Amino acid sequence: MTPRRSAWLLVSPLLLVLTLAFFVPLLLLIPTSFREYLPGQGMVPGSFTLENYARILTDGYYLEVVLRTLVLGVAVTVICLLMGYPVAYLIVRGNPRWRLALTLLVIFPLMLNLVVRSFGWIVLLSNRGIVNNLLTDIGLIATPLKLMFNMTGLLIGLSHIYLPFMVLMLVAALQNMPRDVEAAASSLGSSRTHVFWSVTLPLTAPGIISGSILVFVLTISALVTPRMLGGPSYQVMATLIYDEYMQLLDWPSGSALSFALVSMTLLIIWGSSRLTRKWAGLA
Amino acid sequence: MKSKFMIPAAVAAAAAFGAPGAGSAAELVVGTFGGGFAENLKTCYAAPFTAATGAEVLLKPANSAQHAASLRASAGSPDVDVVFADDAFAVQLSNEGLLQPLDRSKLSNAPDILEAAWGAQDAYVAAMLGATAIVYNRETLSEPPTSWTDLFDPKYEGRVTIGDISGTTGWQFVAAVNAMEGGPLEDPKAALEKIRPLAKSAALLYTQADQVVSLFERGEIDMAVWYPDRAGVAIKSGLPLAVAYPEEGAVGIRPTISIPKGAENAELAEKFVDIVLSAEAQKCFSEAQVIGPVNTKVVVEGEYASILPTAEQAAKMLFLDPETMARLMPDWTRRWQREVLR
Repeated sequence: MTPRRSAWLLVSPLLLVLTLAFFVPLLLLIPTSFREYLPGQGMVPGSFTLENYARILTDGYYLEVVLRTLVLGVAVTVICLLMGYPVAYLIVRGNPRWRLALTLLVIFPLMLNLVVRSFGWIVLLSNRGIVNNLLTDIGLIATPLKLMFNMTGLLIGLSHIYLPFMVLMLVAALQNMPRDVEAAASSLGSSRTHVFWSVTLPLTAPGIISGSILVFVLTISALVTPRMLGGPSYQVMATLIYDEYMQLLDWPSGSALSFALVSMTLLIIWGSSRLTRKWAGLA
Repeated sequence: MKSKFMIPAAVAAAAAFGAPGAGSAAELVVGTFGGGFAENLKTCYAAPFTAATGAEVLLKPANSAQHAASLRASAGSPDVDVVFADDAFAVQLSNEGLLQPLDRSKLSNAPDILEAAWGAQDAYVAAMLGATAIVYNRETLSEPPTSWTDLFDPKYEGRVTIGDISGTTGWQFVAAVNAMEGGPLEDPKAALEKIRPLAKSAALLYTQADQVVSLFERGEIDMAVWYPDRAGVAIKSGLPLAVAYPEEGAVGIRPTISIPKGAENAELAEKFVDIVLSAEAQKCFSEAQVIGPVNTKVVVEGEYASILPTAEQAAKMLFLDPETMARLMPDWTRRWQREVLR
């Protein structure tokens, strides 16, 4: 058997699952997204319209939600990167005795169900939640801070939930980096900060890229946490798509929005990885 | 699809291992609303059904929209045999050809049911009569509210909750305010403009009826646009609530029961519907859920009868044509998102 063929055999189980459970349903949605929907009667068979797509670009509300989703994705990614890099660095380079404890601390939240973690944030952040009650009791605020149903709540919740993914990616990248290159830079007279900025950081770029892409994609497609912390009023694209499907029963519109989200995601991943590769001198 | 393959396998496995009780026990899957509703369903509908047929009842709780979406997705091979849904969704399902019309000749209790309870071509039947009205805390409110306008009183700013439009009370409140403001159904502009400040200052826009219970429990609100039947259940558990039917008229709700086309146990499903419509089950459920019966032979008694509307209040109720509402809902929802929530 040639190496190529055995490679195909190795990926074929995953490929099969992806094709059946992901690509085929996705392809089936393409015709749906061009159908006309008559409320109360359902989809018009055999109809063809571009209106579902046109509406995304012309309706100010949809644009606002799209923009909000992108801002959220970028912000959560940046927060996770800034908070995750020091943790990952400490895990790899810090005292080995702390390594296991730190790694467990990072992984532990992943063992809890997403709904439970999001609900935990509701308990903390709601109007009569622990945070607001505490601040009121010590007299710092008179009326409860609005920590939910807005960007603040989503940023807090999603950053917490996706931080472990970023840390794990960065740990792998830092571990893969040969330490001799840092030693070489130091022995040639580089300062520690200079070594970090011009050697360590660029060499961990692949980890930064994959971690960022992972967190970004997970954030903009997250449904459960934004629904729980954003309520019915603060919508992101995933909750909007869910509502179009499940509440309005307007599958054509929901499908069009789904494709908009998918294409946006692919475009941003492609663009950002190209930029970062250039920066890291990998291109 | 999956379950079709799995059920015979499970039965075969049960038979092979001689699982106790696996004998002839058929299972009827009922799509229901959650919370107290499901509990009362078990007592008043499922128990007599199991006693009469020997078949077990499995509940699948969700709201009307979720049931409708899943029936459409599994068109022709539904995962439920009987489904409860608000009439607007029942009409939509019927128009999409997803329901098996009921055969009145096979329902022994059909002659006793209110004529207004039946859907077009008997595609579904209302199983009870509820309402969207004002529920208030009788300990914190010095005088009971009498009108929808009381909700907008600045005295209660931030102490009121209304439902998001995804729930029945949400759109029905829009309809009630719209009628009060004299707006046409086709254009709820007047209502949306009036509701906007209320929605912005509301303690919460609830999406699940049970969220209101905890708001009342924690003393976060004085008034809610809510269901008298839910209030009745909450009062039973000790909350100091009362129901006010606004003078402009509350909005009537007809939760329906229907059989999806292609239901695996259609015959059992028919039997279940018949039991739901029987005078005994109707009386039991009406008293447990504090909701109006559709069987004309039922006389509701008990201390919670006062929560139900008087004849005068019932006559004033606004009943919205489900067909029209099913057509208008997407537009209303989109406008709600844009003109109220934004």
